[in-house]
Amino acid sequence: MANVALIGNPNTGKTTLFNSLTDKYAFVGNWTGVTVEKKVGTLKNSDIQIVDLPGAYSLNPLTKDEAVVTNYLLTNRPDLILNITNASQLKRNLLLTIEVLERGLPVILILNMIDDLRRSGQSYDLDLISHRLGCQVATTNARGHKGINALRQQILNYQNISSQPLQLDYSGMLQQAIRQATEALQNDFDYDATTARWLTIEFINQSKAVREYASAKGLTPLLSQAPYYDAQKFADQIYENRLDFIEKLLADARQSVTSGGQPEVTSKIDKVVTNPILGLPIFAGIFYLMFKISFEWVGTPLSNLLDWFLSVPVSNTVNHFLIQVGAMAPLRSLVVNGIIAGVGGVLAFIPQIFTLFACISLLEDSGYMARAALVTDRLMQLIGLNGKSFIPLIIGFGCNVTGIMAARTIEQPKERLVTTLIMPFMSCSARLPIYGLVVAAFFPKHQALIVLSIYFLGIFVALLVAKFYQLLFHVKERSVFIIELPEYHLPRLDIIWHGTWDKGKGFIKKAGTIIFAGTVLIWLLSSFGPSGFVTDSTKSFAAVLGHALVPFFKPIGIAEWQAISALFTGVLAKEVITSSMMVMFHTSNKAVLIAALSQFMTPVAAYSMMIFVLLYIPCFATLATIKQETGSTKWMLFSVVMSLAIAYVTSFIVFQVGSLLF
Amino acid sequence: MQVLVNVLLVAAIIALAVFIIFRTFRKVKTGGKCAACDYDCELKKIKDKHDHLMAK
Repeated sequence: MANVALIGNPNTGKTTLFNSLTDKYAFVGNWTGVTVEKKVGTLKNSDIQIVDLPGAYSLNPLTKDEAVVTNYLLTNRPDLILNITNASQLKRNLLLTIEVLERGLPVILILNMIDDLRRSGQSYDLDLISHRLGCQVATTNARGHKGINALRQQILNYQNISSQPLQLDYSGMLQQAIRQATEALQNDFDYDATTARWLTIEFINQSKAVREYASAKGLTPLLSQAPYYDAQKFADQIYENRLDFIEKLLADARQSVTSGGQPEVTSKIDKVVTNPILGLPIFAGIFYLMFKISFEWVGTPLSNLLDWFLSVPVSNTVNHFLIQVGAMAPLRSLVVNGIIAGVGGVLAFIPQIFTLFACISLLEDSGYMARAALVTDRLMQLIGLNGKSFIPLIIGFGCNVTGIMAARTIEQPKERLVTTLIMPFMSCSARLPIYGLVVAAFFPKHQALIVLSIYFLGIFVALLVAKFYQLLFHVKERSVFIIELPEYHLPRLDIIWHGTWDKGKGFIKKAGTIIFAGTVLIWLLSSFGPSGFVTDSTKSFAAVLGHALVPFFKPIGIAEWQAISALFTGVLAKEVITSSMMVMFHTSNKAVLIAALSQFMTPVAAYSMMIFVLLYIPCFATLATIKQETGSTKWMLFSVVMSLAIAYVTSFIVFQVGSLLF
Repeated sequence: MQVLVNVLLVAAIIALAVFIIFRTFRKVKTGGKCAACDYDCELKKIKDKHDHLMAK
C-alpha cells in the first residue's frame, strides 16, 4: 500500500484538501489546533493511504505539532509528499517547501486557494516554478473542490514522479561545511547522499528534532562540529540563502492578471476587527448578536413550538394510550411526568442550541475565529496565558471535555494545567437549557444580554483564577502562539451545516442516554420517600435532601428544595438540571415551569442560580478528563473544591449585593 | 397480571437507566472518553487514531 504525506503551513486548507481527497469528513476550521495529531485516510477509490500531518512553518520545530512533522520525515519514507501552500503566501510557505524538497522524496507542490491569488490580480508561471524546484506543481481551490480531480490523477500516478532533491547553492563556508559532513555521514554511517545532505542541513539549521536524532544515533561528524556551526551563525545564512532563492523565484515567476479586490477587502476589515481598541468590543458585539439570534429572534420562537408539540400532543397522546392499555399511575407518572417531561424539557432547547452552533460555525468558516484568537491574545497576555489557550477555551464553550483535550496543543505543562483547570468555567452548551429556562422566566425582554453576561462572567472568572494559578504554580515559561489570518470567505452552507451538526448531534444523543437516565433517577427520588411510593413529592427523598440543604443554599438565593435537588443531578450532565426541574415541578410544559419558577424566586435569586450553575462542580465526564489529562486525582479534587468555593462565593456576593440594590 | 406487567415495565425502565449510568461511569474509569457524550467527535477520533498508531 502506497503512503502519501500531506505537509504544509497551518491554515493553508490542508484539512479541507485531506477531506476532499479521502472522502472522509473532518471538522474544518480556520485556526491552529484543528489538526492536533496526524490523521490517516484513504484516497477515494484506491488503496493509497494519505497521512495528514499537523500544520508546520518549518522543520525546525517550535511546537509539538511541528516536531511531529520533522520526526515523521526522519523515521518514514512516504512514496509521495503533497506539500500544500497558500498561493497568496508563497514567500513564507516555500521556506518549508525547500526543506521538504531537500529531503529528496517525490513531491507535488500544491498552490491552494489559487482563486484568492487570481482575485488579487496575480498569477505565477507554474512551469518555471516546477523547473526551478524540480517537482510537479498543481493548483487547487480545496474549498470549491477545484483542481481536486486533476490532483487525484497525479497522486494515482505517483510512481512516475521523480524524486530529485533540490540542490540549493549555499554560500562559501556553509557549502563546504555541508559537503564535508555529508561525505562523513555517507562514509561512516551508510546514509545515502540525499539523506546525509538533508540531515546535515537540518542539523546546521539547529532543528531540535534533528539534533536529538543525531545525539540518539551518535552522528559524530555532526555532533563534533555543532559548536562551530553555531558560532559561524550558519543557521542565519541558511535562512538568508533560502529567502534569496524564493524571492528571485517568485520575482521571475510572477505574472499579472486582471486585478481583483479581495485582499484589500480583507485588509480593510482587519484594520477594524483586529484594532487594539475596537477588537474586543467587536468580539463582544458579535457574541451578543449570536445570543440575540439564538435566544430571541430565531431560537426561542422555534423552541416554543417544539415545547408545545412535546408537552401537548405528544404528552397527551402517550398518556391516553397508556390509560387505554391499562397502565397504572406509577407507570404513567414515570413515562409522562418523568421521561417525556424531563427529556422533552431538554429537547425543547434544541432550536436555541443548534442556532448558536450554526452561528459559531459561520464565524469559523468566514475566517473571523482566527481574528478572535488574535484579539483575545492581548487579553490572555495580561494574565500570563496566550492566544493558544483561547482555542481550547472556545472549544470548551461547546463541551469542556473536548476543550480540555484540545489543550494538549499547549506545550508548556504548567500553562496547559492552568488552561485545563479553568476550562470548567467556560460555559459549555449543556448549560444552555437551564439558562434558556431562567431567562425566559425572569428576563424575557433581555434574554440575549443576560446569557451574554453569564458567558462573559465565566470568562472573567476563568481569567482571574488563571492569574491566581499562574502565581500559585510559579508559571514562567510561555508557549509560542502563531496564528495565520486567512482571507475572509463567504461561508459555505454545507460547511456550516456539517459544523452545526457535528457540534449539535452529541446533544441529541445525550438526550437518549444520560439525560434519560438522569431523568429516571430524579423521578425515582421524587416519587419515592421513606414511606414508599408518594403522590405528593414534598414527602419524597428528593424533598428530604433538598430541605436538609436549604440553610446552605439560602444565602445565595436558592431556597426551594426542587432547585437544590436538581443541582445535584447536574453532576451527571448539566442538561439534567432542566429535566430534573420539569420532573420535580410535575410538568411537561416549559411555560408552566416558567410560571412556577417566577412565583418561587426573585430575578436576583434566579441570576445567582445561573451563576452557581455556571461555576459549580463540573460534570463527572469533565472531572474524569481532568484526572486523565493531568494524570492525577489530586487535580480533579482540587477542581471540585475550587469550583464549588468560587461558585458559592460569587453567587453569594451577587445575591446579597443584588438584593440590596433591586 | 396487569399489576405484574406494570411493575415489570417500571422495573425495566429503571434497570435501563441504571445500566446507562453504570455504563457511563465505567467509560469514565477506562479514561479518554467523554463519558456523558457518546457522540464520536473529531477530537475523539483523532485521539483514538493517535492511540491506535502509538499501539503499533
